[in-house]
Amino acid sequence: MLKLEQVSKTYGNKNEKAVDNISFEVRPGEIFGFVGPNGAGKTTTIKMIVSLLAPNSGKITINGIDNQQDILGAKKQFSYVPDTPELFEKIKGIEYLKFMADVYQVPASERQERIEKYLDIFEIKDAINDPIGSFSHGMKQKLALVGALIHNPQVFILDEPMVGLDPKASFELKKIMRDHCDSGRSVFFSTHVLDVAEKICDRIAIIKKGKLIEVGTMDEIRKKAGSQESLENIFLELTE
Amino acid sequence: MKEIISLTRLFINESLGVSLFFYNQKYNKKEFYKQLFTLIIVPVALIPAYFMYISVMTATYFGLSMINQSSVFLSIGYIIATVLILVFGVMYVLSEFYFSDNIEELIPLPISQRKLIVAKFFSILAFEYIFAGLIFIPVLVIYGIGQGMGPLYGLLAFFVFLTIPVLPLSLVTAVIMFIMQSASLKGRKDMIQIVFVFLGVAAIFGLQIWFSSQLGSGDEVDFQLLMNTMLTSNEGFLNIIGYIMPSSFLMAWALNKITLMSFAWVAVLLGITFFSCALMVAIGERVYIKSIVSGKVIKKGKRLSGDARSKALTRKSHGAMAIFIMDLRLLMRTPVYFFNNISVVIIAPLCILLSFSFIEIPADDLQGIQNFFREMPVLVNFLLIAFFIFFGGTTATTATTFSREGKTSWLTRMIPVTAKDQILGRTGVAVLIQSLGIVFSIIAVQFFFPLALSTLLLTIILGLLGSLPILLFGLFMDMNRPLLNWDNPQKAIKNNMNVVITLFVGMAYTGLLIGISGLLGYFVNALLGYGLFTVISLGFSVVFYQVISKRLEVEMLNFE
Ligand SMILES: Nc1ncnc2c1ncn2[C@@H]1O[C@H](COP(=O)(O)OP(=O)(O)O)[C@@H](O)[C@H]1O
Ligand SMILES: [Mg+2]
Repeated sequence: MLKLEQVSKTYGNKNEKAVDNISFEVRPGEIFGFVGPNGAGKTTTIKMIVSLLAPNSGKITINGIDNQQDILGAKKQFSYVPDTPELFEKIKGIEYLKFMADVYQVPASERQERIEKYLDIFEIKDAINDPIGSFSHGMKQKLALVGALIHNPQVFILDEPMVGLDPKASFELKKIMRDHCDSGRSVFFSTHVLDVAEKICDRIAIIKKGKLIEVGTMDEIRKKAGSQESLENIFLELTE
Repeated sequence: MKEIISLTRLFINESLGVSLFFYNQKYNKKEFYKQLFTLIIVPVALIPAYFMYISVMTATYFGLSMINQSSVFLSIGYIIATVLILVFGVMYVLSEFYFSDNIEELIPLPISQRKLIVAKFFSILAFEYIFAGLIFIPVLVIYGIGQGMGPLYGLLAFFVFLTIPVLPLSLVTAVIMFIMQSASLKGRKDMIQIVFVFLGVAAIFGLQIWFSSQLGSGDEVDFQLLMNTMLTSNEGFLNIIGYIMPSSFLMAWALNKITLMSFAWVAVLLGITFFSCALMVAIGERVYIKSIVSGKVIKKGKRLSGDARSKALTRKSHGAMAIFIMDLRLLMRTPVYFFNNISVVIIAPLCILLSFSFIEIPADDLQGIQNFFREMPVLVNFLLIAFFIFFGGTTATTATTFSREGKTSWLTRMIPVTAKDQILGRTGVAVLIQSLGIVFSIIAVQFFFPLALSTLLLTIILGLLGSLPILLFGLFMDMNRPLLNWDNPQKAIKNNMNVVITLFVGMAYTGLLIGISGLLGYFVNALLGYGLFTVISLGFSVVFYQVISKRLEVEMLNFE
């Protein structure tokens, strides 16, 4: 569903690689957690997946489409919610949602039902006619989530989604993620909290200082951690 | 004082992006060289224009000496400098005091209001001194050399120069603060506030003109009489200028001839300047922070019923249409964008209307002018075309289309919209604005010079077509180097070299195109002229369109 092959990225002229030769695969029907401490390279990796950054080397395929060969085709396969969604302040919530439905060419018949459903779940129906500038941080995040769910994407990509959401919204989001995967689609999200990943992910990948340390189910990794000191240290960092 | 200086430096650094520049020098060479390149190329490109300004001023000086009016020269320079500072000052003041986000971070810190206001004022002043220097120092030098002035003149001129930007700027700042406060207290939206500011400034200008006409000859200004008095008495013209800008009297009395009184007049000028500055700070202390804190209310919409929601959502639009509407909404709803990109469309036709209705042209003169134009339709048509292209070129809407989105541009880059739809939507907005300008000016012109329908059709079509290459060039520039890292929408436009480059390239291109096809049309064959114009415009448009649609998706990967 989502496949990274030897992807690397350096910023500017630094010799330091923000992302260093990363490979992993997210399978259909899977919630995949991308776990690592602050500054590990999670956001950088995600930006390369969603075509906001060009990798220096390596290949990324989304639903079988190479995102450097067919940028537009790849973009149609996913939707993405960044860690701090900056949205057009002067635009009303409803105008934003209509815009998203239009650019993803969502059929008129499906729009209303889907939007109403998610507006109800996240309880922002009443604010929908206000300019986004008047939204709180959490409300912006919820609106971005609704906008991302409009076209029912093959891969749902989220950067630190639980940060800033209230407990109820966080709970609902986890449920939405699960539903999404049950229909054969995938979810890929990053987090710096191991706890979150442990509870909802089918598999996780651990990244530190740009390098992928481990990929697998939680149980597999935990077993390894017992025998491997480096992994244990990371667990400490992630569970503080 | 130390605090004020460091605050001032902070504000200047912020508006110029100095830190980012040096950061790039260390870590991002490619971006650094891009910035360095524009830092060098733009001043170099401006040298010919500046040279022209100095020659014109020198010629003016000699012309005035010939008719024994050299004492007016300094006043003319003074007025030019003051008016330009006033006009640009409005936007700078609004931007630094009201559109900049830094104030919200600074209010909670233990810094006195007075220091904040003074530092912000100084940071604007720093730019205005450079500006005033470029304009007024040549005037002072030309006059000084021409009159064979000594070092005393130099000293006094220096003090006069110091006062130049301060006086108009502190008045503008005071007026703006006053208006912004009264508007925001009633909880109005920011757009209305700015309309108020412009109205207020216009009212002050109007009052000045009204005063001067009252002080003048009584009812109407008789142009013949005016010319006579101007030519016969050395002070006549000086007086007229003085009525418009009273401080220019003091300047003229001080510098035209160096006497003992000159020192007194310079002292008075310095005193007035200091007083106006103090007045501005006093007003600011009363209203500035208060209006910032209370003026940030965003008006909410009313709740939507299920029906209203479904109506708004289920109408499906094409991708290009979605981009077009989003771009247009951002332009209309962000005051800075509106005033930079759209207001010219209203102001230019208004100017035509006003200037035509104030200048009385005798009936037979008008007839003569109309006959003259009727005999040379090709020239008229190309003039009209050039004027219509002006609306497309000057607004440079496409040259900031990605930059205007700033930190929200991730959305534009993430969504699966084809390059074609992006180009159509964004260029469409620019064409719409341009068309509005054309329609308004045609309406204005129609009152005085009725134009035939065929003329209108021809010039409108060619005017729109002729500006397409410029619009696409602007889009091309903004695609290659968008300015996204700003905290204040003013910067997306005012600090954006894409605008300057598009403007210059666009003007040079239009001049050449109109010149060549106009000459061909006038001397050889009209149809040939229009044909060449069409072919060149279409050719460039197609080339730019192809380049952009090939590169856009890849360039979007390099936006940050
Ligand atoms: N725009 C940028 N310019 C330079 N360095 C960056 C930039 N963005 C991120 N980095 C660096 O890349 C590394 C990875 O950052 P990031 O991917 O944001 O980490 P995470 O999301 O895991 O916290 C960090 O060392 C960070 O400093
Ligand atoms: Mg991150």
